Amino acid sequence: MSDDAEAMQGLSRKVPNAPYTVEQFMNAEKEMTKLLVDSAKQTDSKTPVNAVFAKLSDLSKLTPLAKDVVQWSRTNSLWPLQFGLACCAIELMDFGASRIDAERKGYLLFRGTPRQCDVMIVAGWVTKSMVPRIKRLYEQMASPKYVVAYGECATSGGPWWESYNIVQGIDQVLPVDVYACGCPPKPENLFGALMKLQDKIGGRVAGNNERSVSENMQRHEGERV
Amino acid sequence: MAVVRINVGPVHPSTHGVLRLVVDVDGDTVKLVEPHIGFLHRGVEKLCETRMYMQSPSYMEKLDYIAPLAWDELYVAAVEQAMGVPVKEGAQYARVMLLEFQRIASHLLWMGTLASDLGQMFTTFMWAFRDRSKVIKLLEDVSGSRMFYVNMRLGGLYQPLPKDFKERATALIDYIDKTMPEYLEILDKNEVFLDRTKGVGALSRDDAINYGVSGPVLRASGVREDVRKSQPYYVYDKLKFDIPVMRNGDSFDRYRVRYEEILQSTRIIRQCLSMMPENADVLGAPVKLIGPAAKPDTVIARRELPRGEGLIYMIPDKQRPYRISLRSPTFINLSVLSKLCDGVKFADIFAIMGSLDLVLAEIDR
Repeated sequence: MSDDAEAMQGLSRKVPNAPYTVEQFMNAEKEMTKLLVDSAKQTDSKTPVNAVFAKLSDLSKLTPLAKDVVQWSRTNSLWPLQFGLACCAIELMDFGASRIDAERKGYLLFRGTPRQCDVMIVAGWVTKSMVPRIKRLYEQMASPKYVVAYGECATSGGPWWESYNIVQGIDQVLPVDVYACGCPPKPENLFGALMKLQDKIGGRVAGNNERSVSENMQRHEGERV
Repeated sequence: MAVVRINVGPVHPSTHGVLRLVVDVDGDTVKLVEPHIGFLHRGVEKLCETRMYMQSPSYMEKLDYIAPLAWDELYVAAVEQAMGVPVKEGAQYARVMLLEFQRIASHLLWMGTLASDLGQMFTTFMWAFRDRSKVIKLLEDVSGSRMFYVNMRLGGLYQPLPKDFKERATALIDYIDKTMPEYLEILDKNEVFLDRTKGVGALSRDDAINYGVSGPVLRASGVREDVRKSQPYYVYDKLKFDIPVMRNGDSFDRYRVRYEEILQSTRIIRQCLSMMPENADVLGAPVKLIGPAAKPDTVIARRELPRGEGLIYMIPDKQRPYRISLRSPTFINLSVLSKLCDGVKFADIFAIMGSLDLVLAEIDR
């Protein structure tokens, strides 16, 4: 057997625990690289880097198979941001601890820096002084990025609805993908929310295509960050 | 070297919430630490003025979300004092037991997160959460909620204790007594843990008193002060327990004090289980019956919370408090952070801050 044929056999081999072959992954990567290069060509030096990468959220230009591969890959590698605001952060810790063990589903790569993450779990109430900071964290995350509103406070303001210093739901600031309700929701509930998010990213439920580019590039004038 | 000003937080993996620190460093030596707070402020005291008395415990619990039951009980005790409602005898034992279980859960979580901060000792974190989840499960079955119990009613509890409470509680404290020595194996013999806590952030006895710190931070500096002993409430004066006190006041002593307190808590619960009358009535008054005019002009309630001495000052009015003011222990414990961090290495800031056991929701209110 020649080297070429051996290489061909390797390319058509299935990747372990994945429904696609090596060749299909390579093709999808090539197409995504082309998408990124095209996106970079259309911009000038003043465009923020994040805006160049934001084009990667739009999968409509890919071939159907490559789209499937990209969606499958994104579905199965969710890296949440280690970011706790209030009470729900304790349940978030329990989510990562021994009882639930979120690692078995691949959710437990809590990172300290937003630049390595693609899921922001907003756990706790959002005060007005915290809004610019959360916006900035969201802007620093790499595209495609998703937001889970965890708990009543992040969903709607919760018990602090009437308070003078509270934003009544994080969806007034960021585009939210999944809401997990409860005060605080059990860690199992967050597990369910992230599985819903996987369905959404994988295109298995409606709502993925409309929200292909979710960006919040502009800052308010004079906003302190 | 020139002094450089560094901003830490409000979103930082080690600050346990949204505390912002402005740190001046000369090389790796800290010159100044200035805490900036207020990122969780939502006006609890003002909101309580717009609620009827028994609607507010839910707000109070969210002050300290690691030990919610303690603030719940403190607030209800203030209202009971205002209304002149006595607490039933069985309910007194039940409350003491639940409060001590809450103290155990709180200290376990603190131990796990501190070890996790000091060089990724993740085993301790997992063990602490394993044991804590057992305590939380018992509290959940008693109150019906996993985290915010809202379990206290005027004169008693929200619902009777489960039928098998005594057996389950006994089994649980036996389990905790059995597992606690394992933490000694993994922490007290751990070179990294000892290096990063022993002699770090020492608070002298005089400073501790002058700054007004309370709870384990105060007792680690050698002051024997505990509201459960100095002004006993419920059945604490009938129970035999010790107040753990250490001398050096460093991070390691603060860890030891909390560790010993867990063992004392199991001791208290064991006595309560044997002294509590059989089939005692623990039910409190339902919420809807509450709201007559309160008698005294001012009410002051003191309790030993897991983090220190909590105090509620309330001016009661018809149906709802006219003004309510809180003394949160962690707000005052935070004030020593600048003092303790003077001249330490940068990485030690988080060891010291972790050992103070800060809860930002209670600080910002």
